[in-house]
Order: sequence, then C-alpha cells, then structure tokens
Amino acid sequence: MNNGNLAALLPLLSFMAIMVGIGIYVRRVQARGFANNFVQQYFIGNHDLSGFVLAMTTVATYSSVSSFVGGPGMAWQIGFGWIYMAVVQVTAIFLVLGIFGKRVAMLSRKFDAVTVVDIIRERFQSDGLASMAAFIIVLFFCATMTAQFVGGAKLFAAVTGYSYEMGLLLFGLVVVAYTSIGGFRAVALTDTCCAVMMMIGIVLLLYYVLQAGGGYTNIMASIHANHPEMLEPLSAGHMPVGLYLTQWILVGICTIALPQSVVRGISYKDTKSLHHAMIIGTIVVGFMNIGINFTGILAHGVLTDSLQSYGGVDNIIPKTIVTAMPQALVGFAIIGPLAASISTISGLLIVAASAIIKDVYLHEQQKKGIVPTVGKLRLLSMSVTAAIGVIVFVIALTPPSLIWIINMFAFGGLETAFFWTLLLGLFWRRANKLGAILSMGGGTLAYCLTQGMGLKFMGLHQITIGITVSLLFFLLGAYVGKPQDRQVLAKFFPEKPEKKAAAVSK
Amino acid sequence: MSEYEKYQQIKREARWTGLALFVLILFWIFAGFGLSGLPGEVLGMPVWALTSSVGVWFFAILLVKLLTALVFKDMELDAEKEAEQHE
Repeated sequence: MNNGNLAALLPLLSFMAIMVGIGIYVRRVQARGFANNFVQQYFIGNHDLSGFVLAMTTVATYSSVSSFVGGPGMAWQIGFGWIYMAVVQVTAIFLVLGIFGKRVAMLSRKFDAVTVVDIIRERFQSDGLASMAAFIIVLFFCATMTAQFVGGAKLFAAVTGYSYEMGLLLFGLVVVAYTSIGGFRAVALTDTCCAVMMMIGIVLLLYYVLQAGGGYTNIMASIHANHPEMLEPLSAGHMPVGLYLTQWILVGICTIALPQSVVRGISYKDTKSLHHAMIIGTIVVGFMNIGINFTGILAHGVLTDSLQSYGGVDNIIPKTIVTAMPQALVGFAIIGPLAASISTISGLLIVAASAIIKDVYLHEQQKKGIVPTVGKLRLLSMSVTAAIGVIVFVIALTPPSLIWIINMFAFGGLETAFFWTLLLGLFWRRANKLGAILSMGGGTLAYCLTQGMGLKFMGLHQITIGITVSLLFFLLGAYVGKPQDRQVLAKFFPEKPEKKAAAVSK
Repeated sequence: MSEYEKYQQIKREARWTGLALFVLILFWIFAGFGLSGLPGEVLGMPVWALTSSVGVWFFAILLVKLLTALVFKDMELDAEKEAEQHE
C-alpha cells in the first residue's frame, strides 16, 4: 500500500496547501463583509467578481473530472467524432451568461437574493416550489460531488500508486476545508487557479504524449493505418447521430439552467466583467475540450493495445500519464484532472450549503420573525458546508458501483428541473406558479422514472423525455392556472416608464 | 437607462444569444458532417476533423465577440445604488 511514488505527491501537496492558503486569506480579507452581511458575503462573495475570475470559476465548476478522464478515454476509442461532439460545449459559457447573466444580476440586487432559489421563490411566490428546488439541488449535487470524489481518488490511486482512501483523504478534506472556511469567494479564486492548472496540465500531457509516441506525424500515420474509422464523424457506427443530438441538449443547450452556473450571474461586479467573461470563458472551455480530447486521440501513440487490455475507457488517461510522463513530472500531470474534480466539488458544495442555510433555514426563521445573529449564521453556514462535504466524502469511501451513471443522471435531472422554470419564469409573463410546480415536479419525476426503467424514446437519452414533459407540464399549468399577481409581475417585467414613476419610490 | 429600457435591452441580448446559438449549430453541422466527404488532408487529419473542432471553436469566439461588441450594452446593475449597504 505504501510503495507509492513520493515525487508524485509533493507537487500535489503544495498545490493543495496553496488552495487552503487561499481559503484562509480570503476569509481574512472579507472579515468586514462577513461581519456586515454574512450570508451575502459567504455564499456569493458580495457581487465582486471580475470578468476573468467569473469566466474561470464558471468553466472550472462546469468542467468535471470526467471531462478529463472518461471523456478523453472515449476519444481514444472513438476518434475525431468525439472531439466533434465535445466541442458543442463551447456554448456552455456564453449561453448561460448571455441569457441569464444580466437578468439574474439585476433581480438579485433588487431582492437581495443570494441563490437561484431565492429568485424562483420571488417569481412564483411559492414556498413549496422553493423547497422542492432546494431539495433537488441538494440531492443531485450530492450525487455529482460523490462522482467527483470517486473519479479523482481513482485517478490518484492509479497514477501515484498510493491507495484510493489516501487520495480521497488528501484532496477531499482539502476541498471541504477551503470551501467552508472561505465561502464563495474562496471557491471563485481557487477555481481560477484550478482552471489554469487544468490548461497547463493539458499542454504538459500533450507534449509528453507526442514525445513518447514518436511525434505527431508518426502517431497520425499509425491511426490512419490501424484505426481509419477514427477519422470519420460516425466512427463506423460507434458514434451514432442520436448521440450527437443528445449531447447538444445535455452538455450544450440545457446547461444554461444548471443552478451552479446560473448562480454565478449573481456574483460578478459589472456588465463589463460579464461581457469579458463570455469571451474568456468561450476561449477557455474550447481550449480544454479540444485539447484534452485531442490528447486522448494521440495517446494511441502511447497505448497501442486493445481497449480490453487496459481495462476500459476510464483507465486510458491514467495509463497514458504513467506511461508517457517522466516520473518526476507525474505529480504535475495529475494536478490538472484533480483540479477539475475539486473545482466542481467546491462550486457545488457552496451552492448546496446555501440551499440549506438560505433557502430553507433562514426562510423559516424569517417567517417566524427571528433574525439570527451573525455569529450564529457564521457557525451554521460553515458547519453545514463542512457537514455536506463530510457526508459526501463518507459515501465516496465505499462508492456505489453505478457512480458514473449517477453523475450524468444528476446533470440531466438538474436541467429537467430548472430549464423551463428559469427560462420561462424570467422571460415570459404568463409563466405561473402552477406551471412551474408541475414542470419541475412532473418533469423530474418523468426523467427519473424513465431512467429507472430504462425507457428511451428513439434510443435517445432520457433528458429528451424529461425536458419535453417538463415543457408540456409548464404550458398546461400556465394556461389552466391563475397568472401571478400584477404586483409580482411588475417587479419582474417593468412597465413602460409613464406608469412606473410611482412604483419606483414604492 | 430606465428599468423598462434595461429589461428590453436584456431581452434583446437574450434573443440575439439564442440566435447566435442557432447560427453556431448550423456552422457546426456544416463544418463536421457537411465537410466530412471532402478529400485531402490538413495537418495529417481529414479536413472535417479540423474544421469541426478548432474551426467551430474559433467561430464561436468570433460570434461571442460580435455579440458583445454589437448587441450587448453596459448598464448599471443596481436599481438603487444604496441597496447594497442597508443598515
């Protein structure tokens, strides 16, 4: 168990130490903000992110460990069709920021909102809907976080030779620690470091894969000769058109509704930052997706046997790292994928905690007319964040065997639940409480049931069913149920100025 | 900008972002499936492999650049600036 590669551990340890350092530093810098308005400061960093940090944290939270391990492993098997599919993710940043960025920013300032659920509650005036949303967030986020923990720890074990548990302990506790200490701002800053490390990691791995494979021309010639199907979009049937379509929906268009992305619309400083972030984010997300999957394809120069002999797609990247990288650099190569893992965990952890503290606890207190002291809030927020992290950590110690399926399942579930509720809720006056409740509840239920029973429509992923059902339910509710109150609508959809003059002063 | 104008502008931006998505999808189909029959190679790979990866990426960056330069406008996000530091 202990004949691991110590050299591989040192860079990783230093990186983790820097992450915790950022957490502590951020906490000190924000001391005044914490004392002033703790919840605002801790969960959203008080509207202060610059364009660069906004872009990086959105990308880093979105890009998970599977984009760095499972994905390029598939690229190794399928070829350029996989990159063609992965590149649809260049839409993920500009869509969410372009469509929801300003809308969410202005509404959150108006209502003092800290979470996406806050905004949903204000729009539909329904505590039931808000609780359901908070519940869905916590549930699916925990599933996703577990998958990240497991993926990261497995990679750690495969590459360094140390045990799975040790990997989990090392980076798992670190991410829980810095997130609970520093809150959202620490998440944003560490995410930025993580995104940079991911990019460096890709370049580093690409370089050594090219070296070990005998150069680019050589590797490509061998792919031409041995795997000609890798050069076709449909990869001789491995990459059906239906899969392209599904991926457009699942990792492209519908990602605009992921609460962990939308909430970033609350966090930035001004519109210049937002515009900046749209461009930077698109550049970075494209670079990562093309870079890492291209590296996966070129790994054919390093791993020349059949897929079976490597024990599956998930082992391709770990094997590539170990084979192609010099011993001394393995520790750097592993930081990239682990950074992808911890940056997703931290982003989800803080939002899950905010769902419990802000959307459930504080709301209940408010209804009772109680205002908790800053000290109490601080203690509660930090302990809830830490507690969720530890629970997920414990689950990951004995991982359920279906973990990878659960990861994608959670992604689709969140999209089904939030896509129409957010899109129609924020841009359609007619959208009402009944529609939102039916859509979120019914859609998510339909999605989970069809997933559970393995039902598919035309062989497509169940997201297509979920998203259709939730739209139909929404429309049904909107036309059967009552519209929202005029007063509520007026706050969300400002009337023409002449009518409005009186409303501004309340 | 009044609140009403801001909302109109935000709606306009959202619509154009949606349109950009549509254009990108069309380009994506063209750059991949559309060009997949093309003979010849660039950099040791088929033409479509390059246009459908790096090509789509660059095209997306260009689209976003156009969006932020032509459609998106700067605006004050706080309706009432003092709302931030209540009490």
